Amino acid sequence: MKKLITISALILTLVLTLTLAGCSSKTSSASDEIQKIKDRGTLKVGVKVDVPKFGYKDPATGKISGFEIDIAKAIAKKILGDENKVEFQAVTAKTRGPLLDSGEIDMVAATFTITEERKKSYNFSDSYFTDGVGLLVKKASGFKSFKDLDGKTIGVAQSATTKKALQAEADKQGLKIKFSEFASYPEIKTALTSGRVDCFSVDGAILAGYLDDNTTILSDKFSPQEYGIASKKTNTALAKAINDTITELRNSGDLQKLVEKWGLK
Amino acid sequence: MISNLFSLINIKFLLYGFGLTLYISIVTIILSTIFGTVLGILRNSSKGLPGKLSAVYIETVRNTPMLLWILVTRFIVNMKPVNAGILALTIFTSSIIGEIVRGGLNSIKQGQWEAAFSQGFTYVQTLRYIIVPQAFKNMIPALASQFITVIKDTSFLWAVGIEEVTGKGMILMGSYASTTQVFSIFGMIALMYFTANYVLSLLFRAQQRRLVLQN
Amino acid sequence: MNGPFALFKWQALFTDWTVFAKGFLTTLLVSVIALLLALVLGILFGIFSTSKIKVLEAVSRVYVEFIQNTPLLIQVFFLYNGLPHLGVVLPVMLIGILALGIYHGAYIAEVVRAGINSINKGQLEAALSQGFTYWEAMRYIVIPQAVKIVLPPMTNQAVNLIKNTSVLSIIAGGDLMYQTDSWSSANLYYGPAYVVTGLLYLALCLPLATAARNFERKASQVPESDSEDKKLTYEEDAIA
Repeated sequence: MKKLITISALILTLVLTLTLAGCSSKTSSASDEIQKIKDRGTLKVGVKVDVPKFGYKDPATGKISGFEIDIAKAIAKKILGDENKVEFQAVTAKTRGPLLDSGEIDMVAATFTITEERKKSYNFSDSYFTDGVGLLVKKASGFKSFKDLDGKTIGVAQSATTKKALQAEADKQGLKIKFSEFASYPEIKTALTSGRVDCFSVDGAILAGYLDDNTTILSDKFSPQEYGIASKKTNTALAKAINDTITELRNSGDLQKLVEKWGLK
Repeated sequence: MISNLFSLINIKFLLYGFGLTLYISIVTIILSTIFGTVLGILRNSSKGLPGKLSAVYIETVRNTPMLLWILVTRFIVNMKPVNAGILALTIFTSSIIGEIVRGGLNSIKQGQWEAAFSQGFTYVQTLRYIIVPQAFKNMIPALASQFITVIKDTSFLWAVGIEEVTGKGMILMGSYASTTQVFSIFGMIALMYFTANYVLSLLFRAQQRRLVLQN
Repeated sequence: MNGPFALFKWQALFTDWTVFAKGFLTTLLVSVIALLLALVLGILFGIFSTSKIKVLEAVSRVYVEFIQNTPLLIQVFFLYNGLPHLGVVLPVMLIGILALGIYHGAYIAEVVRAGINSINKGQLEAALSQGFTYWEAMRYIVIPQAVKIVLPPMTNQAVNLIKNTSVLSIIAGGDLMYQTDSWSSANLYYGPAYVVTGLLYLALCLPLATAARNFERKASQVPESDSEDKKLTYEEDAIA
């Protein structure tokens, strides 16, 4: 018991110190942060590698390509003058936030939905794409709409906005839904296949990559998900540069061209 | 069908993951053995601050789940994913090896120390020529077991997106959903781990037999 | 005022303390039942492996080698996603109990085997020659010594089992680690969440680990002449 108290005391002291440190304001002028990236020479971007058309790693070549990859390159071109001076790192819904916090990546372009709550922790650009939450079920299950999932279990990814969106919709329709959370999409798909969950739900764009002969995506689509590029809260200069790029892309029509290039709605 | 699953791309995919598993394991084993030995010796021999710090470290880390340390390390430290994984595994494994070393040193009878001192050995010399070689022999089974556990523990790195062999397997399972395919994937992954670990354990047992014969 | 350990994050944690309490209770429940299962399996297979009956020894050998050389995570995934293909869909908590019980059962079997082997046969023969019946000899001479030897590594296995319940977090199992992950990925307050979780696991494991060390000390307090073969060498203290 005595040892436990000693160790707990030490840990609490450490934590208190960190808390107080977290309270101190970080002063670094806005332009310094962009300068750091320029000095480094590369823009570090967190992207998905398992979402066809958005961020997908080709198993044969190992190259990552997609809509969000192209956008990231455009931002690199604006900040560093060369669209190839960019370093991609694979992220999941669970890891993209913490990696941004720790500074391991400068920005996130990974089907990251903008929400008021998230805006408290990160800076988001204006939306560059709007998707909705979709439902993937087994054809054999006979589910035809969200109502059929009353009392059933839906598999979602940890840290994705899906759970909240579905819960809101369920409350609206007066349904009871159970959730099972997993760390990555392949695991949810496997759980769907084995019957552990009755439905796999996430943004429609991501679901498309997991469609196969035995499954179908229900026509229900809700809760418009606005994707934005996220960057660290304190890095306001970078956020501005990112947003300027997005605005330019939209105004020049290049954003729409990318949407068509990748065959997105 | 099965042939789809066993395409060259997929096999290479899995093997690449297995290679990563082995790489992470080997680096972790080397680093944590060094660090763990230091910790164990400090804890056993030092009555002052280093000893106490070592004790706190060992007790805190080895009594909390490895998964917790993997998550904490990945999210706090600014490192490439694989390196963060190695760091997490090293932090955890060092504490366990520290405990093994402490136990091993303890298992040497007090008489050995007294005999060495009476012969004029210094503390460090005693440690180096008398105690550690004997203690090491006692520690080998526990060390072997822990090394094997390291290889198995790399499977947890998948929780933070590191694509070692379990991760690769899970990704494949997302695309290949028939019963035979799923079972084949499980079988292949299990086979890879089993081979690595079983071979390792055989090597250790052979080494132990040789050491026993030497005596 | 927005660091990972900001005060408002701690406040949120204490408001939602029931989330963590639920996880803690699940962890506790799974640990206790799984430990019982592991003990039963371990003692059973440990006895098999020293039974001198070839078939039983072989079965025990296969069980131990297979379980000890494959990752717990793979075993859990198999029970969770593999078995349903064969029509066997077990509730998640049961999977946790089964997987942990079987996994640690293999390690305990090894501990038991070593424990049985380490009791000098001479002890049993001496006792019988003194007029003890076989069962009296077991009860008063052999088993008390065996228990003293076997207790430290067994307690270690119990600690490992409690830590390994965290594997349930990967299959949406509702244990402490899962609740922590779920709560902190929703609001990104992972600083306080992980610290509290660590402390809770410490509260469970540290007392057991300390007890293990005390057992170990008591086990080595035997007459000098016998201490060589009495204390389990680290061969048997297989740490999982």
